[in-house]
Amino acid sequence: MRLMEMARVVRSKNAGPLHLTFDIMLETEADYERCLAAPGLRAEPIAKIYSVSANAVAITPYPTARAIKITLPRHEAAGAPGDRDVYGAQQHAPLLEIEV
Amino acid sequence: MSAVARLRARFAAKPDQPLKLIGATGQLGYGVPEPAFTAALARKPDMIGADMGSTDIGPTFLGSGQMATAGEQTRRDLEKLLVGARSHDIPLIIGSAGSAGAAAHLDATLAMIREIAAEHGLSFKLAVIHSDMDRNSVSAAVEAGRVRGMGVLPDLTVEEVRASSNLVGQAGTEAFIRALETEPDVIIAGRACDTGIYACIPEWLGFPTGLTVHMAKIVECASLCCLPGGRDPILAVLDKQGFVLESMNPARAATPMSVAAHSLYEQADPHRITEPEGASLVDTATYSAVDDRRTRVAGARWQPAEQLTIKLEGARYLGERAVLLAGSADPRFIQNVKTLLEEVKAVVQELVCGAGVAPDYDLTFRTYGLDAVFPWPDPPATPPREIFILGEVIAPTTDRALAVTKSTKQYLLHHGFPGRLSTSGNIAFPFTPPELAAGPAYRFNAYHLMEVDDLAAHFPVTTELVG
Repeated sequence: MRLMEMARVVRSKNAGPLHLTFDIMLETEADYERCLAAPGLRAEPIAKIYSVSANAVAITPYPTARAIKITLPRHEAAGAPGDRDVYGAQQHAPLLEIEV
Repeated sequence: MSAVARLRARFAAKPDQPLKLIGATGQLGYGVPEPAFTAALARKPDMIGADMGSTDIGPTFLGSGQMATAGEQTRRDLEKLLVGARSHDIPLIIGSAGSAGAAAHLDATLAMIREIAAEHGLSFKLAVIHSDMDRNSVSAAVEAGRVRGMGVLPDLTVEEVRASSNLVGQAGTEAFIRALETEPDVIIAGRACDTGIYACIPEWLGFPTGLTVHMAKIVECASLCCLPGGRDPILAVLDKQGFVLESMNPARAATPMSVAAHSLYEQADPHRITEPEGASLVDTATYSAVDDRRTRVAGARWQPAEQLTIKLEGARYLGERAVLLAGSADPRFIQNVKTLLEEVKAVVQELVCGAGVAPDYDLTFRTYGLDAVFPWPDPPATPPREIFILGEVIAPTTDRALAVTKSTKQYLLHHGFPGRLSTSGNIAFPFTPPELAAGPAYRFNAYHLMEVDDLAAHFPVTTELVG
């Protein structure tokens, strides 16, 4: 199953102009555990998708809201020439295809 | 007696009463829903807060001194809040004035406040927090190695400090408390931490800091923490052990899950809220339903910072921007578009600069339908039926930017390539002129942390009697 078929929310946004943060929210405890265990949601594959180094990727489980947060650096400050997404609100798209 | 003096006296007489705070809007200038604001006033709150700014909107507003919101709507929102607060004698606190909180933004906001006051015959004491950073102090901190980067921007240099069009710092709760000490009716801050707006009064009155910062971080987004999330004002009722959240729109419910999930929003770490003076650790927070529309939150702890810091935000002028808007539905053109755009770039450069002359502009194409929003590693399995091409030019003057854009438009329209079928034009224009001047362009050149020994010196507070 792909993440887009399981998650209740998959979103991205700037966390300040230098970082992107992604939230994956799950409906059930079982889905949350399944996403936490999914190899595709570890730092290395996420780093590859976003072309950053794996040690720059912070993955934080947030059980209170059955959510997983991923934070990583932007390639340029928001709004710099060549930026594709000033608010960072559409950078989640590649995550949707991840097998969980 | 001013509204803040009255509040202080009331809590001096009875320190254990709850404090009622209204988060009126997380982004003043886009509209404050009237029914929910009226409902909020009916609850007789102890303060009304509103945030006006963010870095989300990009560097241009900070650099140019312009507001991101429309003047007319901004004025309408300010009027609603100011008249509402003054007619009920409730302290009003507004942070990050005019979208980015530099002097120009603050001045424009204050001018509106004075105009509204004159129109409605209001008179009150106003305290103002100034957030523009002194360039000499920041340069000295740079040279002393007391400024550190937070991500992709290079280390700050004295040259960048001098070249910023505007350079502000985020004022923290400390600055708001100094403003409260002047016992005003209204506080308007330049660039400020959104939490400071709501944390200052409770902290000043002796409520626990960890708790108040957690509350502040939630109510600064108005009813966004609810289900469904929205822009309506929210009420927080704070006591010494916790706070209860309630949207002022009956259609929105603050549930334990929706409030807990809000800690994720636009935050790098959901377990801590970092401020200049320290961090609220919210990993121990609890969320419990009071009823189906209200949630009680408790349990956050405060960790004072070992080193005081100020977050700096600077924007530097790059030039003037012009854009080209065009689409294509031709499969041969779409199939070759990446190569063709590079060819057109080279042709245009030679035409507008001369052979071998380096360009005095930047030309960027984004091809929507292919890879404009995300740099996909592979092209789509099936080519899109249509694409949209956005050409962007940044040049020293508007005339130059438009000249480059116009040549680009014409040569892109008629650029020949092997297999071309549509020999009368490669692209469709939605209207003419398809090239538009887009105003000045900026980039963030500072988003750094500056270590300081004292916050107060960097954020002066001034007062005035309005009306």
